[in-house]
Amino acid sequence: MMLIHCPHCGPRAQSEFVYERTVDSVAPTDATTDQAMQTLFTRNNPRGVDDEIWRHSFGCRAWMVITRHRVTNEISHVRAVGPETLP
Amino acid sequence: MTDVTVSILPSAPLWALEIWSNPDAVAARFKAATGFALPKMGSSDGSEALRLIRYEPTVWLVEGDASALPSILANDGTQTAIGGGIVRMLLSGKGWRRLLMEGGVFDAESPAFTTGSSAATIIDHVNIRLHVHSDDACLAYVPLSYARGILHFWEEAAKALD
Amino acid sequence: MTGPSRPSSATDINFTFDGKRYSARRGDTLAAALLANGIGLVGRSFKYHRPRGIMTAGVEEPSALVTVGEGGRTEPNTRATDVFVYDGLVANSQNRWPSLSLDFGAIFGLAAPLFSAGFYYKTFFGSAKRWMFYEHFIRKAAGLGNAPTESDPDRFSQRAAFCDVLVVGAGPSGLAAAVDAAEAGQRVILVEQDEILGASLIRDPQELYSVWVQNCAERIRAAGGRILTRTTASGYWEHDLVTLTQRLAEPGQVPHNGVAQRLWHVRAGQVLLATGSIERPVAFPNNDRPGVMLSQAVRTYVRRYGVCPGQRVVIATNNDDAYLTAHALQEAGAQIVAILEARPAPAGQGQNLPVFNNAHPLSTKGARHCLKNVSGSVDGVTKSWDADLLAVSGGFTPVVHLHCQAGGTLEWNDAAQAFVPAQSRQNVKTIGGAAAPAPVFNATPVAPAKKSFVDFQNDVTLADVDLAWAEGYRSVEHLKRYTTLGMATDQGKTSNMGALARLAEKQGVAIPEAGLTTFRPPYTPVTMGLFAGAGAKDAGAHKRRLALYDVHAAKNPIWQPLGYWFRPRAYPMAGETLADAAMREARSVRTSAGLTDVSTLAKFEVSGPDAVALLETICATTVGKLAVGRGRYTFMLREDGFVFDDGTVWRIDENRYLLTSSTGGADRMATHLSYVRNYLHPSWHVSVVNVQEHYAGIAIAGPKAKSAVAKLIGEEPPRHMSTISAKIAGVSVLVLAASYSGERAFEIYVDARNAEPVWTHCETAVIAEGGCLYGLEAMEFLRIEKGHLVVGGEIDGRTTPQDLALDKMLNKAGGFIGASGLGRSALSEPGRRQLVGLEAIEGSIPEGSMLVTADGKSPEGHVTASAFRIMEGGSIALAHLADGFDRHGEELIATSPTRGQRARVRVIAPHFYDSAGERYRD
Repeated sequence: MMLIHCPHCGPRAQSEFVYERTVDSVAPTDATTDQAMQTLFTRNNPRGVDDEIWRHSFGCRAWMVITRHRVTNEISHVRAVGPETLP
Repeated sequence: MTDVTVSILPSAPLWALEIWSNPDAVAARFKAATGFALPKMGSSDGSEALRLIRYEPTVWLVEGDASALPSILANDGTQTAIGGGIVRMLLSGKGWRRLLMEGGVFDAESPAFTTGSSAATIIDHVNIRLHVHSDDACLAYVPLSYARGILHFWEEAAKALD
Repeated sequence: MTGPSRPSSATDINFTFDGKRYSARRGDTLAAALLANGIGLVGRSFKYHRPRGIMTAGVEEPSALVTVGEGGRTEPNTRATDVFVYDGLVANSQNRWPSLSLDFGAIFGLAAPLFSAGFYYKTFFGSAKRWMFYEHFIRKAAGLGNAPTESDPDRFSQRAAFCDVLVVGAGPSGLAAAVDAAEAGQRVILVEQDEILGASLIRDPQELYSVWVQNCAERIRAAGGRILTRTTASGYWEHDLVTLTQRLAEPGQVPHNGVAQRLWHVRAGQVLLATGSIERPVAFPNNDRPGVMLSQAVRTYVRRYGVCPGQRVVIATNNDDAYLTAHALQEAGAQIVAILEARPAPAGQGQNLPVFNNAHPLSTKGARHCLKNVSGSVDGVTKSWDADLLAVSGGFTPVVHLHCQAGGTLEWNDAAQAFVPAQSRQNVKTIGGAAAPAPVFNATPVAPAKKSFVDFQNDVTLADVDLAWAEGYRSVEHLKRYTTLGMATDQGKTSNMGALARLAEKQGVAIPEAGLTTFRPPYTPVTMGLFAGAGAKDAGAHKRRLALYDVHAAKNPIWQPLGYWFRPRAYPMAGETLADAAMREARSVRTSAGLTDVSTLAKFEVSGPDAVALLETICATTVGKLAVGRGRYTFMLREDGFVFDDGTVWRIDENRYLLTSSTGGADRMATHLSYVRNYLHPSWHVSVVNVQEHYAGIAIAGPKAKSAVAKLIGEEPPRHMSTISAKIAGVSVLVLAASYSGERAFEIYVDARNAEPVWTHCETAVIAEGGCLYGLEAMEFLRIEKGHLVVGGEIDGRTTPQDLALDKMLNKAGGFIGASGLGRSALSEPGRRQLVGLEAIEGSIPEGSMLVTADGKSPEGHVTASAFRIMEGGSIALAHLADGFDRHGEELIATSPTRGQRARVRVIAPHFYDSAGERYRD
């Protein structure tokens, strides 16, 4: 079980988080059919570092982008995503 | 035997207060109107009459008399009643920290988790929000549907905390 | 065997082994107590049923496996070396019939060639009959203890802990490190699998060791550190999470506060592994006989337990450590008859001992229970000695399991002939003996291969390793799987190095080049109940209770699990079956009125100036045109264009909407809404709040529903797809006029805390109209007859709005999620399965059955839900059928071959009741 440094809550257990998808698989709602299918189904899937979208679903419910090495699970960066917020 | 007892508190009016724009301006209006600042992540502020506990970046749990809030929020946010779905439980006695480690993943034994601190976490597979009342007491906000299950879980766990 | 240092004592406790009563001293392991009582034969081996005794004094024990405890507390395959005797302990030997000393299975020992390496795989080749033949007696003969049949009466706990430093192992290095860290102000946890601290210090007492150990423990505790004994660090996971298994009671023992074991999840800032090393056996023929023990284990029994396991002792060694055992044995009064020293020249510790250099053991002789003679080679000449104990030391294998589980690498230490930790990937460091094992002479076996056991638990010999090599298995991973080497419950703690050395020798390479198999958790076997934790006693997960649970429970309904929820399925009256009750309830809804609990529906309040924008992104239908107080049916698509949920959306105020969706999809919808709002559109001015549990929901349906609601609220009820705020029993409620049943119907939403009086009033009103309560089963009958969809049934993740005939409702302006995906040409090609209704011409339509044009043809569709016409009778169903929209009137067969059920059916429109929707209107 990984330890994820939530930008809002600090280090928390992975079981509080839910993985959503990789950043490169987000298609805009107004994408053409071909663009959308390309984005959804043709992805890099690297054996190495990727940017992943996670949510602290059972914590602060906020979204974040986690840069994770998929072999070692090393997390090199976590970036908060979401509306403007107070500290 | 470690000292902790769990009890269900009477229901209270609870709201989710969400700010969607101009958070700094809202914070200033809030401070001016209530006399205390909108609490930071992981903490609470206020009194028995009106307490705000922050578990989310843009949402505060409001407990008490929320009638002043709409005018403070104006068009920068809203409040929604949520009290029907939440059961408040009180964990009292020195042993509350250890009890929270049972089936948990959050460091409730950390010295940094102190009076006025708040945290949302998962305990025995249930999403639960914690608010430290004092060294001897912690409040837990438990989803109504899981409340009896969690109460039973805590009562059983409290028997074997050593 | 009882040594002079072990006088009997008034504090002796009793235990039984194979039904016979013995005494033990407090602090004895079962193995120590058995040895003290002169019991050498403890079990029979896995494959050959060879007699086996006690080989080690620790968790690595491969041979002395016993069943401990009775009834639900029975723990099979427990290492006798890893159970501390308590008064009343009951232990039994395993894998023997009719008794341990007279075991018919031992005949398999004579048939050893039959069970050679790869036996299992070989039986798979050739005719299938061969495997069928072998399987019968393999299952009977091979094996370990039996799993208990009763449920475990004890509880299991799971607990989290956090620390700056976790120290694994309370030997001299671990204790010192823990003291330093604790006194430096760090949060420290020290774990030790033994019940006392000290580890190697207990075996090799330095002066005042116990005082030092006790002093360390006091200093750690005084500095706020936590010491856990009988606790094994069993797994090392990502980001320095270490799982610990703690025994609060010994196997089979009644725990003092109900909890038998605890699984700790420890997140550590740093982990220090002071895990020491495990002594290796020596491979030579008949090295598995009771009376052949590891040298350090012998020393442990002598020094710690005061038990001398032999009086005439031969020692075989390739290192200095075994000489400490010789001295310990001499102190206990035993005679050392020979030391077979693998090293060619005297090494300096053997003064006054009969040391033979350039010597190694060749074989043993003995009776079932004991050793009688040891033969060995000295400078190539065979000699033999009468002896009742052979203590062997083939060197030391550092315990690197946790280091490797953490992703660390190993390097070869040639002097120690062992792999030691090298690079670490996590914050873990190995200290003490595990990092720097003692030097040894040579680890490669030199004796004949036959009956030279390397894996004692799985009965793998050097001959099996040789055979695997001869049959072409080159990689260590293949060797392992072909021979089952290291795959027993001991995970090869004593065996792997001997076999690896043999493989390297065959390959003609150095040992490190032969490779290593993977170390996987758990380090020692873990009781299943620990993984379930508190859930082991219940359903595994908490049931979700309705706000009105007590109200329903008082009526004794049949409950239906729905995800984690439990909802009333029907409220049978005396003598009614489920089907009877459900049909009565459904008829009541069709003819007068019914009342049901719909609280579990997903509900979200969406507020703010951008509420419409959000809803029109989530929903595939229009929302913006709704007037305040109006609602409509809606559905949601995945990005690939398939329908994934449906519900209703209501405009309850200028900038406030209520969105409902399916119970089962509630959490998924909450995530989806949050994703769209926070990830895709963080700048929108909108708030989405999950109010699923805030509102209890009560539905009233039927031709008399309107009159019942009118009386309840004291005003004109809203018309179909409208909503008003009202009061029932003085409580504020939201009344939505929506229908799932096909009748005029209302959903009443109320703050869950105030639901009970509202429900009571509603129930009274419905009964006054001649109605009754109805459950999920009746609701299913009603909605099928009406042709309404259910998520998970007709909406099964493979259907588009077109397939479900919902496409006319699609938002023409697009912009909703899934709009791009819908454009795929394949989604409008012929042959797609489309929603149809079926009515039976003959027979009852089986749920889940296939639709075929004739027997033996490929399926062209399937039944998603079947029911009976509520008033008229007759079997009906909803189905997905290829090109179904154009096949109304066609006759098909609905067949469920697995259940032997079939029906002849006619394809019709999927609305069996009031297709014009007239009953919704006043």
